[in-house]
Amino acid sequence: MKRRAILAFMLDRPGVLNKVSMLIRKKMYNVDTLTVCSARKPGLSRMTITLREDDPTRVAQVISQLEKFTEVVSVKELDTDHSYWREVAIVKLEIEGLHLESFQGRYNFEILNQQENEICILQVAGSTRKIDAFLEEIGQEHIIEIARTGVTALEK
Amino acid sequence: MTGKELLLRALKNKGVKFVFGYTGGAIMPVFDEMDKQGTFKFIMSRHEQGAAFMAQGISRASLSTDEPQIGVCMATSGPGALNLVTGIADAYMDSVPIIAVTGQVATGVIATDAFQESDVVGVMLPISKQTYMPLHAEEVEQSVHEAFYVATTGRGGPIVLDIPKDVQNQPVSENYRFDARRFRPQLPGFFIHPTPAREPLQQAIELINRSERPVMFCGHGVINSNAGQLLQEFAEKVNIPVAFTLHGLSAMPADHPLSLGMMGMHGTVEANRAIMEADLLIAFGMRFDDRVTGKLNEYAQNADVIHVEIDPSEIDKNVATSVAINADVYRTLHVLLGDPMLTYKPRRRWLEKIAGFRQVMAEDLRQEIEAGVGEGGKLLMKSIIHQLSEVTAGKDLIVADVGQNQMMAARFYNYQTFNSWFASGGAGTMGCSLPMAIGVKLARPTERVWSISGDGGFQMNAQELGTIMEQQLDVKMILLNNGYLGMVRQWQSLFFDGRYAGTPMQSPDFGLMAQAYGIPYRRVETLAEVAPALQAAIDHQGPMLLEFICDPSELILPMVPAGGGFEEMMVKRPQPVAADGGKP
Repeated sequence: MKRRAILAFMLDRPGVLNKVSMLIRKKMYNVDTLTVCSARKPGLSRMTITLREDDPTRVAQVISQLEKFTEVVSVKELDTDHSYWREVAIVKLEIEGLHLESFQGRYNFEILNQQENEICILQVAGSTRKIDAFLEEIGQEHIIEIARTGVTALEK
Repeated sequence: MTGKELLLRALKNKGVKFVFGYTGGAIMPVFDEMDKQGTFKFIMSRHEQGAAFMAQGISRASLSTDEPQIGVCMATSGPGALNLVTGIADAYMDSVPIIAVTGQVATGVIATDAFQESDVVGVMLPISKQTYMPLHAEEVEQSVHEAFYVATTGRGGPIVLDIPKDVQNQPVSENYRFDARRFRPQLPGFFIHPTPAREPLQQAIELINRSERPVMFCGHGVINSNAGQLLQEFAEKVNIPVAFTLHGLSAMPADHPLSLGMMGMHGTVEANRAIMEADLLIAFGMRFDDRVTGKLNEYAQNADVIHVEIDPSEIDKNVATSVAINADVYRTLHVLLGDPMLTYKPRRRWLEKIAGFRQVMAEDLRQEIEAGVGEGGKLLMKSIIHQLSEVTAGKDLIVADVGQNQMMAARFYNYQTFNSWFASGGAGTMGCSLPMAIGVKLARPTERVWSISGDGGFQMNAQELGTIMEQQLDVKMILLNNGYLGMVRQWQSLFFDGRYAGTPMQSPDFGLMAQAYGIPYRRVETLAEVAPALQAAIDHQGPMLLEFICDPSELILPMVPAGGGFEEMMVKRPQPVAADGGKP
């Protein structure tokens, strides 16, 4: 199913996140990712929700019902052609330094912590696909733990 | 001043006259203050659900009067608040603005599972338009004002104010000021579009002028925006027949030549057939729910759809529109009526065709109503409602419950008064009628109010007889007793091989019950007694309970089976069928 990103601005008040997630559950979606941050304007939050849906009219329904909440200021769908979707992953690995260096050119990660016993913590940012590819190439056998932020998106 | 005083000051400022409710530990300070001040008429319900429906009755019935009021119900924390849930969810489904004030345990013990604590905001979030939990007395007044603004702006809905007990008692600082007249809620994302945009309006007019087989739809929005008169003028001006949703009934006289009556699952043949053959639907203030449309992919396949609706999230939700007008129904009709481009068409062939549809069941129904009794010699509900309509000249206020009694009251009462029909539509809450009728009577004291219930629904909120007794409210009660949950029984006889699972019901002696509450009572078993009994209730000053012994095998027809298209509309009692016809 097609992955959709919904960008919403809302008043930064308790309970709003609850309302948004409840609506998404009511519409019978499983949230793929959900990120919240403060918006540029004080008092507003900025939320990026991704979920899977092929039918554009159903997505439009979610958007119009989100807009109905008194705290929600604006909502729109962002498509991949006209926006950047990015996430950050922090990965704890057990890997040889030399092996890791071979990825540096292509993935531009930042090493946060490297110990002698080949345990390394790094962060990598990019599209979901890029992070997936990075993890794939590194190899599951080297990965101890992964923390991913989920997608945040910005319109071009 | 304290939180409770500010709460009451704000309610008074918003024109509240009645408070319905039930006290308890966490709301006691407010009740105490209310009693001290004597500002409101307090009506004690016998169950909090009753209070929520009484509040609904006030909001629904008073909106067409000179003094529209918003119904307010009050309950304590925990079970008190939770007992309001059904009434609030019902108001949300039916777009009825009410305010529910609930006491909450003190802020110091919130989330410690204190006595009678429940997460009321959490529970109410998905079933109310907005919830507030002021955590300081200084927030109370503003919350109430914002609550009224949100409840009544755009599509109406219920608001919950959950006020911790310590906040009720907390004094505000000396510098506290609140100017109700200057107050504007800070809700940058909450706005409505009451005025129709020009472009879709022009497109709509073009479609209307071009259309040969149009049907207009009258929904709850017509009642809520007080646009019944305008709708009728518009229908007459363009000569287009009007079909009604359940909540659109009584927007214009039911016997108007252009009226097709109710549409949908138990709608009239003429309404449903006209919709099937229409080339244009013009929907005013409605949401195309499944009881109205039946199977969506077979619904009005050849018709363009013009949808006038104040809530943008309803547009294109179930039925794709050709022209969407996101605006207030009253304003839209007002603009349309003033537009010189709109033309009158005789539509002779279309109206003749519809006249033919009207004949499909007319003779059968006439005979049934005249006979007045079913095969077992027991009374037919449709005949009782028909007679009620005759003796009251269709002018009274009707508050129905849910089920067959409701559909009979919707179909066979000849509504003449604007906004004279009240029922639970979207939620379909059994037991709503008795408490809602109390609110309706208080909102419109000079008009006669009839509460119509079945034996099932009546017993769901029968405790409110106590409220009627205590307040000496002149509510006439019609109890259509067929010994079953009639509507479910109808489905069972049509789709479940006639196996009556969980529908037969033993009832108490309703005469003794009425007597216990000091309410006059009459039991009616024969056709000849029906009209005199109704007249007796009219002549009696005060409440009266009329119990009619009804035929359990009576069906409300036509019927479009759930999930079926209008093609499958049954107009006659079918032969027994296999048990795969539908699900309740």
